[in-house]
Amino acid sequence: MSAGRENGARPVAVSARSLSKRYRLGEHRSLQQTVNVVLRRPGATTPPSLDALVDVNFTVNRGEAFGLVGTNGSGKSTLLQILAGTTLPTGGEMEVHGRVLPLLAVGAGFHGELTGAENVTLFGSSLGIPREVIAQRMDAVSSFAELERHMDTPVKRFSSGMLSRLSFAIAMQFPADVYVFDEVLAVVDGEFQGRCIDEIKRLHREGRTVVFVSHSLDQVSQVCDRVIWLERGRVERDGSSDQVLDAYEWRHHSPET
Amino acid sequence: MNRPELRDYTSAEASGPLELELPVVRVIRPVKRRVRLRHLPRDGPVIRVLAARDFKVKYKQSVLGPLWLVFQPLALLAAFFVAFRNLADVQPGIPYSVFALVGLSVWAFFQASMIIGASSLISNSMLVRFTPCPRFAFPTAAILASLPTWAVTTLAAGVVAAATGTLSPRALLWPLGLVWLFMLTWGVAALAASFSVRYRDILAAMPFLLQVGVFLAPIGYPLNQLGGAAQRLVELNPLTGLVEACRWMMVSGYHVSPRVICFSLATTAIIALAGWRVFTRLETTMADNI
Repeated sequence: MSAGRENGARPVAVSARSLSKRYRLGEHRSLQQTVNVVLRRPGATTPPSLDALVDVNFTVNRGEAFGLVGTNGSGKSTLLQILAGTTLPTGGEMEVHGRVLPLLAVGAGFHGELTGAENVTLFGSSLGIPREVIAQRMDAVSSFAELERHMDTPVKRFSSGMLSRLSFAIAMQFPADVYVFDEVLAVVDGEFQGRCIDEIKRLHREGRTVVFVSHSLDQVSQVCDRVIWLERGRVERDGSSDQVLDAYEWRHHSPET
Repeated sequence: MNRPELRDYTSAEASGPLELELPVVRVIRPVKRRVRLRHLPRDGPVIRVLAARDFKVKYKQSVLGPLWLVFQPLALLAAFFVAFRNLADVQPGIPYSVFALVGLSVWAFFQASMIIGASSLISNSMLVRFTPCPRFAFPTAAILASLPTWAVTTLAAGVVAAATGTLSPRALLWPLGLVWLFMLTWGVAALAASFSVRYRDILAAMPFLLQVGVFLAPIGYPLNQLGGAAQRLVELNPLTGLVEACRWMMVSGYHVSPRVICFSLATTAIIALAGWRVFTRLETTMADNI
C-alpha cells in the first residue's frame, strides 16, 4: 500500500477503491418463504436487490473540501454511511485517515429526556471523543448554538431549529480530521445557515477535510473546491466544483435554490 | 505495512481542542466481523455514558425516582409471601425472607436488564443508523444501568440474613456471583437485542417470557420441593444454578446440588459465547436492517 500518499506529496484523507454496496430490497423474508428457499420448493425466489454503489473510485486529499451531488437514490448517503462507519460495503474498500465526525441527520442520537449538555456528552462519547475534550468544548458548543440558557433543559422541549443548531454546534466544535455533512443545512433558517457555511469554510481553511452533501448546488459551490457527481451508484464525473456543477446542472436543469 | 484496524482511530488521543490529530488509518471493507474482544476497553467511556443515560431516563419525570428501586422488589417479595409462604407453605430450610430476597436479587436484575437490553438497539436506532457508536455498548449499558436494582436487593438480602443470624462468611464470594450473573444476562440480552433488529417478535414475546420466567426458576420456591419432571425441567434453566449458588454464598447451612451448579455454569458459558458470536456477526448489518 502506498502509505497514504498518492498524487505526489499530498496526504490522502479518504480513498475508495471499487467500492460497492448492494441492498436487499423489500421486507425480510417471512418464515414460509424461508422454508420454501431452504427446501428448494418451486416458487422460491431470491429477493430483488439494489446496487446503491457500483465500483466507485475516488481519492480525497487531506484538507480538501469535497462535495457530492446526485439525485435522490444516487448513493450519496450510502457512501457517507460507509465513510462514517455505520455500515459496511459489500465490495471494494475505503481507506480513511483520522477521526471522522459525521453529521448524517439532524438530532440523530439525541435522547429527548436528556438535557442539551447531557446529549452533547452522549454524542461526543459515541464518536469516541474523550470526556475531558467534551467538557472543554461544552461552552463553545452552547455559545455556537446560542443555547447557553437551554443546556439544562431536556431536548424534547427544544424546537426543531434549536435541535439542529445543537447538532451543528457539536459537529463544528469537536476535533476531527474528516467532517461529513449529509444534507443537514436544509432545516435551519437562512441566518444560521450562513454561519454554518462560514464555519465549514473555516474548518476547510484550518486544513480539515470536509465532505459535504447538499441538493443546493449553490451551497456546494460555496463550500467545495472538488465535486463528485454520482448517478445511480456510479461516478458520473469527478473534478473541480465549477466544471462538475455546470455539467450536473446542464443535465438536470435544476434551478438554483 | 501492517494492516490498519477498523475504528482504531478512537485510540488516537486528541492532543487539544481543535488540534489536528495524528491520523490513524482504517480500512473499511466487507468483513464478517469487525468487532474484536480487545476493542472493548476502548468502548468503556461510551458504555458508561449510555448506562448513566439509561438509568437517569428510567426515573425522569417521576416523583419517587430511584425509590422505585426499592418498591418493585418489595412488592414482589410481598406477593411471594402470599403465594409461596402462606398458600403453598414452602419450607426452604432457611428463613423464607432471606431465601426469597436472594432469589429476587438475581431475578430483579435479570428482568430489569432484559426489559431495556432486548430493545436497546431498537430504542437507539438513530444512534445505530447515523453514528459510529459501538453497538456493543447498547445492551451492555442497559445491563449496567440495572446494577442499582441488583445492589439494593442484594444488600437487603444481606441485612435480613445478618438479622436472622444466617449470614454466611461465603458472602465474601459475591463478586463471583455478580460476574456469573452479568455474563448470563449479557449473553441473553445480546442474543435478544441482535435478533430483535430483524425480528420484532422478540420484543412482543419479552414481557410474556419474563412473566413466565419467574416461575420457571427457583426464585420464590425451593427446587427440591418440586420433584419429578417439573424439577428436571426447572434445572435446565440456566438461572436455576445461579440462584442456588447465590443462596449458598449468602446463607449458612444452605445446601445445593453441585450438578445443578455445574450445569448452569456450562450453559452460561455457552450462552455468553453465543451472544458474543451472534451479536458481532449481525452487528455489521444492523444499520441496514433496523
